[in-house]
Amino acid sequence: MTQGARPYYVPVGKEEQVFKAAYRQGLSILLKGPTGCGKTRFVEAMAYDLDRPLVTVACHDDLTTADLVGRFLLQGGDTTWVDGPLTRAVRDGAICYLDEIVEARQDTTVVLHPLADHRRQMPIDRLGVTLDAAPGFGLVVSYNPGYQSVLKDLKDSTRQRMVAIELDFPPSELEEKVVAHEAGVDHGTAVQLVRLGQAIRQLETAGLREVASTRVLVAAGRLVGEGLTIRDAARAAVAGPLTDDPLITAGLFEMIDAYME
Amino acid sequence: MSIGPSADSPARFRLLASAIAGRSVDVAAAGADAPAWTDGATIFIDTTRHADEQIRSLAVQASLLEGGSLDAALLAPLARRPSLARRYLSIEGHRALAGRHGLLPLSVRSVVDDAIAGRSDSPAASLAIAMSAAELGDPPAIFGMIRPRQVLSSASACRPADDGVPARHAPRTEPAVPPAVLDDEEEGALEGADLFSSPVGGGGGIGRLLKNLFTDSRSPGSGPPGAGSPTRTSRRATRVAPSHAVSTAVARIPEGTPAFAPRRFTYPEWDGIRGRYRPAWCTVTESVPRPEDAAPLPVPDTLPLRRSLGRLGTELERRHRQLQGDDVDIDAAVEARVEALAGSAPDEGVYLDNLRRRRDLSVLVLLDVSGSAGLPGAMGVPVHEHQRSAAAALSMALFELGDRVALYAFRSQGRSAVHLVPVKRFADQMDASVLQRLGGFAPGAYTRLGAAIRHGAAVLEGDGGTARRLLVVLSDGLAYDHGYESAYGEADARRALAEARRHGIGCLCLSIGAGADAAALRRVFGTAAHASIARGEHLPAVVGALFRSALRSAELRRRSWQRRARTKERLVVERSTA
Repeated sequence: MTQGARPYYVPVGKEEQVFKAAYRQGLSILLKGPTGCGKTRFVEAMAYDLDRPLVTVACHDDLTTADLVGRFLLQGGDTTWVDGPLTRAVRDGAICYLDEIVEARQDTTVVLHPLADHRRQMPIDRLGVTLDAAPGFGLVVSYNPGYQSVLKDLKDSTRQRMVAIELDFPPSELEEKVVAHEAGVDHGTAVQLVRLGQAIRQLETAGLREVASTRVLVAAGRLVGEGLTIRDAARAAVAGPLTDDPLITAGLFEMIDAYME
Repeated sequence: MSIGPSADSPARFRLLASAIAGRSVDVAAAGADAPAWTDGATIFIDTTRHADEQIRSLAVQASLLEGGSLDAALLAPLARRPSLARRYLSIEGHRALAGRHGLLPLSVRSVVDDAIAGRSDSPAASLAIAMSAAELGDPPAIFGMIRPRQVLSSASACRPADDGVPARHAPRTEPAVPPAVLDDEEEGALEGADLFSSPVGGGGGIGRLLKNLFTDSRSPGSGPPGAGSPTRTSRRATRVAPSHAVSTAVARIPEGTPAFAPRRFTYPEWDGIRGRYRPAWCTVTESVPRPEDAAPLPVPDTLPLRRSLGRLGTELERRHRQLQGDDVDIDAAVEARVEALAGSAPDEGVYLDNLRRRRDLSVLVLLDVSGSAGLPGAMGVPVHEHQRSAAAALSMALFELGDRVALYAFRSQGRSAVHLVPVKRFADQMDASVLQRLGGFAPGAYTRLGAAIRHGAAVLEGDGGTARRLLVVLSDGLAYDHGYESAYGEADARRALAEARRHGIGCLCLSIGAGADAAALRRVFGTAAHASIARGEHLPAVVGALFRSALRSAELRRRSWQRRARTKERLVVERSTA
């Protein structure tokens, strides 16, 4: 639940106010943003602030309705009903966070409709019951508009039941602060890493599907904290994960050499 | 790294240069002691210098590109005045570098002279200062030089930076028209929207790659080499590939047709000038593939293609006796219970699951074997050979994935002699004889694309046997036939495509190794359904997105047609009951 310190999140704009206002109004929230820009961390921080438990579901393309709602399992000779994560959140009044919602099959996301609009109900046809969402239930979905394939898009009927919050990589000063804090490295290292990240983000033409996110910069910083040189850390944590192509890897290594002192 | 640019090749700086320039640029050697310069697509640097100096020269030239310093309008007055160009560079170089300050490596930042950079705030201002009598020193040696004429003549001359906040993540653009709108639009709007929207999002990596590929397949600036090769492999494709199932749909093969008699078909042709069809205008002959003595093509490596096509055209299928699933498979559960009670180890798979496993796609590949394809293309290899091996690789990959594939070659000599040669019909096995037949083609004659598309669509309609159908044209350009000149031919081909798409057949076109002619094909097929690539190896990078978008738009069109047909039916019923 929500013990311990608040998850570290630095707001860039008004996203915290929007989130809390939407939550209090019982509106569902759609988070848009590139991978590794802090969507999940943001939801964690919000759940902490609002003092609600958080149920996270990472969506994948074989995610079915039953995976969310629940299913009958066989135990010995009997069937037992097992709640899915969404049902659990509805019963407990938790914040349910569906990460990368577009990855889920389109027929799956329809189950969210009665929950996401004014009804705030969840019919479970296998049990023949309709659950009313417990007070405090909140639905948050996220997706990365750049990452999805051309076939995958959020249904408009789903979209329009949501309040959208757009996140992006923080501006450099903020990102330096985040990298320094998260990785526990000094400011100079963070500045170099962020500068490299910014340069790589210019490179969308190069056959990289995704760019260096705040997350990989933090990972590189943590390696530096373990005593690796900044070049080795950047090679392992930034260049390696971004591509498998030897040509592009070599180019990234060259960039790392140029940007890291 | 074992492969890739060698340690001292200038190409290793390509990514660095692209990052600073904010777009894809190439890096090449300028020769010993030559100053660095750029033609707008490639930056030439002196590779004999120290790596640090190379990076600095590179950063200057890349910043010039990014800062819009090399715009055609600015460079025109510099074309014949090298001393003015030098004065311009000495101030504009600093200004451009300063504009990119936040993104430069530390070693480069020391080059910037803020005092000079501060004198100008735009390329135009720099030019004005350079043209004035103001005192200006020579640019530092590492600035290299500006070669206005080379930039002006380069096809991909510099464009001004249009990105206000360069360091932000650029989300790929959404599809131009959301499906819900498309559904309700009229036919005309449908075509407009689908034909000209980018299949993969203009802002995205693949979108830009495609855009680069479109510009000029042989220019050095057409994207960095390697951009076309897949940099990521899809987990899903590899997972599906080993467990594919061959389509169960059975095609209606015309029985009793003697295998060796050429079959003739007539098709109308669209007369774009008069705005009407010419009925029964073209005669298409399905001639028999001659048993050739030619050496068969080598068996293509289909793995990369299979990866990018693996998830295409699959349908949900209800599978019994799964280890996990949405529902309990009652039969299996009872059996398992009985077995357990009887004392034997029960089978654990007692669930029903919906898995996306059933292949539901038929593809007809139309290969252009007209004379124009015999011209040499990329790297001196005839376009025809590029296309042949691409056709082999595509059909092989799709066949191995369990899709229904046919491969027809086409050429024509006038409207009464449009020849389509079935290299592989839907019913044929994919075997060595297919490759041999393919190897035997020599390019010749002309192209009457419209008739070929109509026949291909008819074959797909008749023999395809699946709900999802794709017509893939491999052609190097819209060559002409007797009485089938450019505008007329384009109009007819576009019409033929619209007819096919109306029947739910996705249509797309690939030009491999071809040069200039691809522009006409792009007009006919629409940018969303045409890709021009330099080499067959780039195929896997583009086909996935192209196929998907073609299938999707065909599906939308088919649905909107069905809906309209239903509405019409209902109106008729209502009228008759009223």
